Amino acid sequence: MRRSTAAVVGTLAGAAMLLGVRLSATPVAVAATGSQATEPVDSDQVDRPAKPGRKPSGGASAADSGGDSSSGRSGRFRGDTVTNPYGSVRVTITVADGEITRASAAYPNEGQSAAINGPAVPQLNESAVKAQDADIDSVSGATYTSDSYRKSLQAAIDRAGL
Amino acid sequence: MRHVEQVMGTAVSIELADDLPTATLASLVDHTVAWLHEVDRRFSTYKDDSEVNRMQRGELTVADCSADLRQVLITCSDLWRETEGYFDVHATGRIDPSGYVKGWSVEVASRWLAANGSTNHCINAGGDIRTRGGPAPGWEWRIGVRHPWKADKVAWVISGHDLAVATSGVYERGEHVIDPVRGRPATDLRSVTVVGPDLGRADAYATAAMAMGDAGLRWLAGLDPAGYSSATVASDGKAFTSRRLPVAALAA
Repeated sequence: MRRSTAAVVGTLAGAAMLLGVRLSATPVAVAATGSQATEPVDSDQVDRPAKPGRKPSGGASAADSGGDSSSGRSGRFRGDTVTNPYGSVRVTITVADGEITRASAAYPNEGQSAAINGPAVPQLNESAVKAQDADIDSVSGATYTSDSYRKSLQAAIDRAGL
Repeated sequence: MRHVEQVMGTAVSIELADDLPTATLASLVDHTVAWLHEVDRRFSTYKDDSEVNRMQRGELTVADCSADLRQVLITCSDLWRETEGYFDVHATGRIDPSGYVKGWSVEVASRWLAANGSTNHCINAGGDIRTRGGPAPGWEWRIGVRHPWKADKVAWVISGHDLAVATSGVYERGEHVIDPVRGRPATDLRSVTVVGPDLGRADAYATAAMAMGDAGLRWLAGLDPAGYSSATVASDGKAFTSRRLPVAALAA
């Protein structure tokens, strides 16, 4: 449960996050993602742009610099979860014909929490609280002041043992 | 040997169960007590010239504070993340690591005692407990969890050799734990007890779960596989225990 080691932000996540706010105005060439785009999800079916005939814009177009983008690669790509000092984030980009048309960052309830929570959702046992008298060495309770200590069960135990 | 010391605004009960000469035990108790007072002097928010207050006033930076304080602050920021912001040393608008320092200081004391000959002891600092070994050869320590409505009863008995047991709770009208995320008193839960290897962390987890309220139940369930089990009483009297809670079988 120690602090997670900060992972290196891949170019995919980096580029998408830096440019995220301006994405709709400035499509980013998919080539910028290089080969680090990890797992494609729902390839060829999500958010296909309704912009027929649109060409990649700018000098560094996808078609020019992309390795496999001659055919205008499309799909949704999810980056690795990246942990920074403020938590975990995972970026998903949608690419249509070699352009990023959409990017979103998810802040998953995993990372640090997952280290604690584990894969399954564990359960607690439920019952009604019972009051017991028991032979005990010490009592755990909400912090008492020096004053309320005098009236506590712990004080009685200490007096008996002193 | 038993000793009760008034320090850190509460009573600390120290029981050394080792078969050692009285003078040795007395010396171990003295050292332990001296350490607790030192922690109080250096970390209290009530003492004007404590390290914590000097840092608050900007007279001390993280770079030139003691290694102890730096480590405490680092752990507190880890705990802030682990508890999704519910354990917050800045919740009161100033730096106040007391919610971790008490348990941490007892943890350090227990480690020091073990390294210096006392491997069987029980330290209870205002209701937060660290045990080692047992009260007698072959016996486990038995720790009662105070019943939230009946001060002279216990709701559970936890047993084991090396345990940290911390409880956060409200027992009387007017007491409250503030939920630092929503900025209001947390009223769903009555008491949360966390049992695990480290008292500072157990204390912080119990405080955080208390502040989370009902949502804290699910969070506590998730804490169990990570080594910190729990026993919770909700305001409606329902009781919740996690799977690995070392509950002692009740004597009939």
